[in-house]
Amino acid sequence: MTSFRRLTFAVVLLAVATAARAAAQDYSRLALIRDDVTRNVVRGLLGGAFSRGVPIDPLMAKALEGVAKKASTTAIRDAMNALEKRMRKAQDLLGKDASVDELAAGADALSVGVSEKTLTRMRRAAPRRSIALELGVLTELVARGVGPSKASEMVLSLMARNATGVQLTALSNDVQGDVAAGLNPEVALTLRGKGIMSLLPPPPSTNTLQPRPK
Amino acid sequence: MIDETDELIQRAARSLRALPATNPLATARIIAAVRARRAQAPSRLALVAQWMREPTLSAASAAFLAAAALVVGFVARGAVRTVDGSSPDIATTSEMPLPTGTAPALPTANTRGEGVAVAFLFEARNAKSVAVVGDFNNWDATSSPMKRFGPDGPWTTTVRAKPGRHVYAFLVDGSTVVADPRAPRARDLDYGGDASVLMVTTP
Repeated sequence: MTSFRRLTFAVVLLAVATAARAAAQDYSRLALIRDDVTRNVVRGLLGGAFSRGVPIDPLMAKALEGVAKKASTTAIRDAMNALEKRMRKAQDLLGKDASVDELAAGADALSVGVSEKTLTRMRRAAPRRSIALELGVLTELVARGVGPSKASEMVLSLMARNATGVQLTALSNDVQGDVAAGLNPEVALTLRGKGIMSLLPPPPSTNTLQPRPK
Repeated sequence: MIDETDELIQRAARSLRALPATNPLATARIIAAVRARRAQAPSRLALVAQWMREPTLSAASAAFLAAAALVVGFVARGAVRTVDGSSPDIATTSEMPLPTGTAPALPTANTRGEGVAVAFLFEARNAKSVAVVGDFNNWDATSSPMKRFGPDGPWTTTVRAKPGRHVYAFLVDGSTVVADPRAPRARDLDYGGDASVLMVTTP
């Protein structure tokens, strides 16, 4: 066997070992599920998701959440299936380079009623950085009672103006507090959103001609 | 005007046109050397074949490189994936300012390393064990056990969470899931029950 072949063999072995270890790492938490039936169901679902290229960490977390909440095997299976479906949709919308955090956040956003178009627009607005935080803020706003379209427009406007993570999180927390105090969620979003907008420069527009220098 | 028939000019022209005398032995040596070099030089295809045949990387070297890549990859993977509070670069709860009073308060956080270290506090005097479980530790009940802050004090722990929205709860005595009374509630569409929301901002 030539050295070239040996090198190829070593590279293939390395790839197989890495994949095997990745799988073993994630499947190791199956031992935390004591019920044999549930564990086998979860193992099968994780294997299917893995073969379809869906990250299995969030699915494992969903299973363990069900175990902690004493959910039935059927409920755990249904929840995992639904999550995998949303993650695959998020993968389609956010791109194959999307991180696990983005996919999980995208799946959460879809679960509360955020539109698929919004996810696409958010990815377009920030193609080269993680938008997990922005998706989380959007999900939380909708979860607090803001309409998905209104919340989406606000988050997209803030992204267009390069709002920081701190500002976005502040918006979410402030609206939470306002709603808890009895304010209408959309009124709260409008007021808090205006406050943050006033601190930000206008969005850069390619259609706007710059004044000609004199 | 120059007269080209002049005897002197014709002699000069003849001397300039004549080639210098060559050494036939030297010429033969040069030609032989060029032929020998051409016979020894391999073609480009032969060069590529030779490169592939030569032991540029031995099996031992390849195995060593593969092992090194595995170690580096696993260490990097572990460093990236670790979310629990066991990493030595995370501040302990005793170093962290803890939320006080009953007002709803986000867990306090610092920002060393990847993600944000978040301190949790939960009051359960009669509990024998409490753990925080959530998206940030994959709902792994063994990942983030809490410790009592004093003999009858609250339970505390610190975990690391990435920026974004996280749903979490406290697992009391390994069997009861309780939402954080200090944080906003999260509606669980899959299993029902109580959970809380934590928004972690960028460091």
